Amino acid sequence: MDLGLVIYALNLAAIYALMAIGISILWSSVGIINMAHGATFAVSGYAALIVTGLLKPVIAAAFGKTALASIVMASAIVGSALVAGAICGAVIYLVAFLPIHDKPNFPVRALIITLGLNIATVQGLLWIFGPRNQGLPKIFGFGRWEIWGAKIRYDQAGTILGAILIMALMLAWLRFSRKGLEVRAMMQNAEGAAYSGISRQRTALPVLMLTGALAGMAAALLSQTIFVSPTAGVIPLVKGLTIALLGGLGSVPGALAGAVLVGFLEAIVGAIPILGQRYVLFSTFLFVIAVLIIRPRGIGGLLDDTRE
Amino acid sequence: MTEKTYYSVGRRPWEWRLKPKGSAERVRERLPGTRRHWLKWRDIHNPKTLCRERALVDKRPLWWTIGLALIAVVTPFLQNSMISVVSIFCVYAAINVLWTLIVGTAGIFSLATLAVVGASGYIAAAANVYLGIPWPFMLLIGPLVGLVFGAVLAAPSTRLDGLYYALLTMGIAEICRVFVVQLRALTASGGAITNVDSFIPEDWFLQRPGLLLGFSGAFLLLLGALAVWRLVNTERLGMLLRVARTGREDEAFAEAVGIDFRRARFLVFVISSAALGVVGAFYAMYFRSISPQIFSLDQLLLLFAMMVIGGLGRAEGAVVGAAVVTLIDKGLVELGPARIIIVAVIMVGVTVFARDGLMGSRDQFRDFRKRKSGERRARRTEKGGEAMPEEAAEVHDKQKLYYRRFNKRLRERLKGLITPELIEEHRRDPLGHHSDELARVLNYFRRGEMADKYVIHRMVPAEERFRIMAVSGERGIPPRVVDDREYTKVKEAYHAVFLLRVNDLLES
Repeated sequence: MDLGLVIYALNLAAIYALMAIGISILWSSVGIINMAHGATFAVSGYAALIVTGLLKPVIAAAFGKTALASIVMASAIVGSALVAGAICGAVIYLVAFLPIHDKPNFPVRALIITLGLNIATVQGLLWIFGPRNQGLPKIFGFGRWEIWGAKIRYDQAGTILGAILIMALMLAWLRFSRKGLEVRAMMQNAEGAAYSGISRQRTALPVLMLTGALAGMAAALLSQTIFVSPTAGVIPLVKGLTIALLGGLGSVPGALAGAVLVGFLEAIVGAIPILGQRYVLFSTFLFVIAVLIIRPRGIGGLLDDTRE
Repeated sequence: MTEKTYYSVGRRPWEWRLKPKGSAERVRERLPGTRRHWLKWRDIHNPKTLCRERALVDKRPLWWTIGLALIAVVTPFLQNSMISVVSIFCVYAAINVLWTLIVGTAGIFSLATLAVVGASGYIAAAANVYLGIPWPFMLLIGPLVGLVFGAVLAAPSTRLDGLYYALLTMGIAEICRVFVVQLRALTASGGAITNVDSFIPEDWFLQRPGLLLGFSGAFLLLLGALAVWRLVNTERLGMLLRVARTGREDEAFAEAVGIDFRRARFLVFVISSAALGVVGAFYAMYFRSISPQIFSLDQLLLLFAMMVIGGLGRAEGAVVGAAVVTLIDKGLVELGPARIIIVAVIMVGVTVFARDGLMGSRDQFRDFRKRKSGERRARRTEKGGEAMPEEAAEVHDKQKLYYRRFNKRLRERLKGLITPELIEEHRRDPLGHHSDELARVLNYFRRGEMADKYVIHRMVPAEERFRIMAVSGERGIPPRVVDDREYTKVKEAYHAVFLLRVNDLLES
């Protein structure tokens, strides 16, 4: 296996991990399977597109063609995607969590509502922007490094580093902050957390906004490699969901391991000449089904009986 | 004598009831060969009129008959395009009813329904086109494929549950789609099998007689799906599964009483998969072709939206949801992509506001009304009387309840009158001419019940020494001493009694 393949696999794994960790944390703390994660992804991509479109002349006028200009541009892209993702999370909180969180059948109804939001958002984006693919300005610029004979594109390296950075920040927040402690308590045992005075309503909003921002970050990073389009969120959503389940819902290390495994699997399947890109999703599903049949709760998950 | 006017009273005065003669014998007809009755009649004794009445407790069969008869009667008079919309509605409704059987009755969250339909449709169509098997046999091949596919799918459902299983079935649908698209033999037509032979003659295809024939086939398909639903859900299998339906405690309970719910689930899944196989074969024949579109996620989501809008786990929900969504999706084609948004918005709205879809809204409204009336009753009793509703039902003499309520209200009023000035007024002159407020308070005290009423005891030997006692209220039981304080003036004793009573009043 050459280094380029490893980098490609890690690139995929980084983006999948951003999606999967969001889905996994959200499920285990708030109890929503967020099917609108894909919509969040697409909306963040478009937000970044619009903001950069607006800011391009301003930045060009202020900084010219300096390194500073590209840094400002990059932060504009990432910032707008993060903010748009967080706003999407807040919308999901208002529509899919707040009205029904104390009503019967909450998990199924939340799933259905987020699914409906996803469909509506994707169709709305199609309506407004049309099905055309649009490219974002490149944050990391064009070009590649040569290391030991392998070519590493800037955007791949940037994606991997950016994803690792943002995930480390989020895990540190979960680990060290007061709110993170509350979120972790809810992930362990929602009822126990409620008994010790942790409000589900108050905790759900930051969790939803944070996972939305993670999806936005994934959108900003992935759109360095592919284009922004209304249906761009579907594949990351399916992959993220798959990987979250593969890792065991609620297990962050499981989701990370799952993302790396699936990233490598896809890179390898895509590189084998007889199989090719067409069989990538096929092989992923086969792999996940096989794992789930051996371990019904995924890699890092425990059966409910064991947990009790 | 003036003519009597009768008012319709009771909770449901509009409800239609039979009034058989008191002497008439009770006859209930059964379905031939079974012990089931046609309709759920119940004999009721009306407590007001003292008449015998018969009420139809379960009116759903009537609604089903009316609805289906309307579809069958109205459709032949519609335009060609609307006939095909109704036929597609029938096919979708049939798929949804069978899916409801899997999701609702068996409690398995499977998303591979359309994969079963597609796979059996594909294999039946391939048998017809490439092997030359005549079309009636497609209706046999379809369910066979569905049976096998269903058995394969159902096997992991005992091990995985909920979302994990849903994901697995979604993966299988995707695998089917990729597999069909990759087939070499079908690449020319984009993965579709065309020119399938059909029960509709070729020169009638897309003509009015052909459409009508297609509609009657689809309608029969819907009736068949409903029959399967009735036989599985309401008979033994469904009854067994209803014990193990809601939670893991129920599953443990079902296991403990000897119900093999896993086997029952498996059977329900396999039976409905076989029925879905019939739908698949019909689908291929109705459109004379079948394309990989049937495995796609969009199609699946559309069907899921139908079930959700109607109400998950109910046959009537599946059919009504299919009607709503098909009408929007196929009937309003000129709206373009907006119609998917409309469907999604309806889906979100229904899920936010309705607990159990459109068809569950009636029960939900009744529960809501019951809760509200309970709340109102609680508020009434809290405000007015002391008796809680349960106690009030047991007290036979309702006058007592009203007296208690009056008493409580009076006390609330009097509490507001008691001020330091009032107490000072009484201390100054316990027996004098009093202000209006003090007179009211004292009147209330005088009228109090004998039990625990305070009295002043002039102590022997006869001196000016008084103490306060409380009478028992029962003959033969002497009064008890309230405290050991002694008073040397009778006015002080009067005032002490007053203070005690005021204290009791404020505490009550």
